[in-house]
Amino acid sequence: MSKQLFITLLLFLYPLSSQSAEQPAHVVSINLCTDQLLLMLADPAQISSISYLALEPGSSFMAEQAQQYPVNHTKPEELLSLKPDLILASEYSDRALIQLMRKLGYQVETFPLPSSIDGIRSNIKQMAQLLGQEARGQQLIKQMNRRLEQITRQQPALRPRALFYQPNGYTSGKNTLQNAALQLAGWRNLAAELGIQGYRAIDIEALLLAEPEQLFTSPYAPGSQSLAQHQLSHPALKRVTAGREMIEIDYKLWICGGPMIADAVEQLHRSLPK
Amino acid sequence: MKQPLALSQKQLIGGLSLILAALFLLSLFIGSSPIPLFQAAHDTLLDTPSVIALILSEVRLPRTLIALITGATLGLCGAAMQGLLRNPLASPGLIGSASGAALGAVCMLYFGLASLLPMALPMGGILGALIATLLVYLLAGRDAGSLTLILAGVAINAMALALISLLLNLAPSPYAVREIVLWMMGSIANHSMADFQIMLPGILLGWFLLIGTGRSLDALTLGEETATTMGFSLPRLRWRIFIAIALAVGSAISITGSIGFIGLVVPHLLRPLVNHQPSRLLLASAVGGAILLLAADICVRLFPAGTDIKVGVLTSLVGAPFFLYLIIKSRRYML
Repeated sequence: MSKQLFITLLLFLYPLSSQSAEQPAHVVSINLCTDQLLLMLADPAQISSISYLALEPGSSFMAEQAQQYPVNHTKPEELLSLKPDLILASEYSDRALIQLMRKLGYQVETFPLPSSIDGIRSNIKQMAQLLGQEARGQQLIKQMNRRLEQITRQQPALRPRALFYQPNGYTSGKNTLQNAALQLAGWRNLAAELGIQGYRAIDIEALLLAEPEQLFTSPYAPGSQSLAQHQLSHPALKRVTAGREMIEIDYKLWICGGPMIADAVEQLHRSLPK
Repeated sequence: MKQPLALSQKQLIGGLSLILAALFLLSLFIGSSPIPLFQAAHDTLLDTPSVIALILSEVRLPRTLIALITGATLGLCGAAMQGLLRNPLASPGLIGSASGAALGAVCMLYFGLASLLPMALPMGGILGALIATLLVYLLAGRDAGSLTLILAGVAINAMALALISLLLNLAPSPYAVREIVLWMMGSIANHSMADFQIMLPGILLGWFLLIGTGRSLDALTLGEETATTMGFSLPRLRWRIFIAIALAVGSAISITGSIGFIGLVVPHLLRPLVNHQPSRLLLASAVGGAILLLAADICVRLFPAGTDIKVGVLTSLVGAPFFLYLIIKSRRYML
């Protein structure tokens, strides 16, 4: 009897609760990565505020679209005054802030940092669901899949050896977006083959011994100088790649996982030796 | 006074050079990946050198050469400074030349000038070293005792290090702040032949200026007045040595960061072996400094890959206790 009642209640409540969750009207994002997905998927009217980093053209793929929205600096006072019905954050966002906002009764959703194309798809799906924009999410994923498939169809017979090289000698091994993109574009990622997991420094002797044919880099602060960045101009790097210059891929294409990874894959594919 | 070791200058320099040559070869053998060295050396002569040749000529050789000339510079300048100021605690590290040089180099590197004009980097180092050295000299006064000199050096060092921190915090590069430790401790990892070429002219010029100062320094051991009556012009000698130190230390530190204690320790270790004669000490300290820094860098490279220990950490670990020992010894004399 009580079970029946429970089910009826549930049936009765379900459309109501899903409706209210379907289209949150005051969404606030406090992380660059959630900013961008929010801007891609939400109705403009749904967006209350995005983080100030979304405006930075070097790291934000959606910098232009971000200009029309008020920005926040992830301060609790700011967030409270916005009266959000949904707060979007990354797994690595300020823990204390997230806990505080949850304790105050706000809905805070966190997103993982994807390290694969599947991770990107699931983030888009999660975001679309939270915003009640499933159709747009599907559309975005379909577009990205189509672009990626087009490239994977034209794989070179022999995959050339590549390596991603960053200031301080950092490289991207297994479980990184750079690894996924290099593979999709038709390159071998030497860092992954050397057993490097994630984002780690590689010794220059080990790098040379692997004999990369092409080096890629994503300048984070182009135009600035430091010893870390000076390392990229080591003459041995150019000599080992037979004089080929290091190719720069925009940082904003993969600092956050998103459909813009297709741009990076296309750039990597275009730079395959002819 | 008993003579511990009666070595002629030739024997001493010959012996030290042999050790240096052995370390030089050894350091080419040691790297993160084992490579067949003789094959590599042979391959460097090919039109399109192999990868192992590239590792030898573009990674290991510059590192070894930079350690060698930086160590030699620090040892030589330490000996010259101790001779000139007739003060056993004088050295590029304690007198502020090294941190001044690091400050000058930081100004040039992080704000874009060095990328426009590579020689701006050693120029900044030279200017910084000269200003810091002169400031300490003026602060301490001409006939300063050890204590005054050290205190003036501490003040200028603290000032330079604070300015380095400030500048690196203000620098536009997001990587700058983490490099504070690099400038304070010094490192010779990850340098290229281009860096070696940049530091070379200033260093050679400095060495050249110091070569002829031996006899004046010998005369100076008899006292300033005696030296003057013997026909040596002290103001000229002083300027010559200060400028030489600025040129050599400034150029070296602008590439490696401030590496501590070599200029202090090496002349002390070798002084008994050259009969306390400054003219003989100069060359011996240069070779000795090269030996010490090369040995320290080899030790650093023997740590497992990934533990990025700065070579300056090691020289300071050896040098700081030695510095304490010198202070205790000089206190005993005072009592």
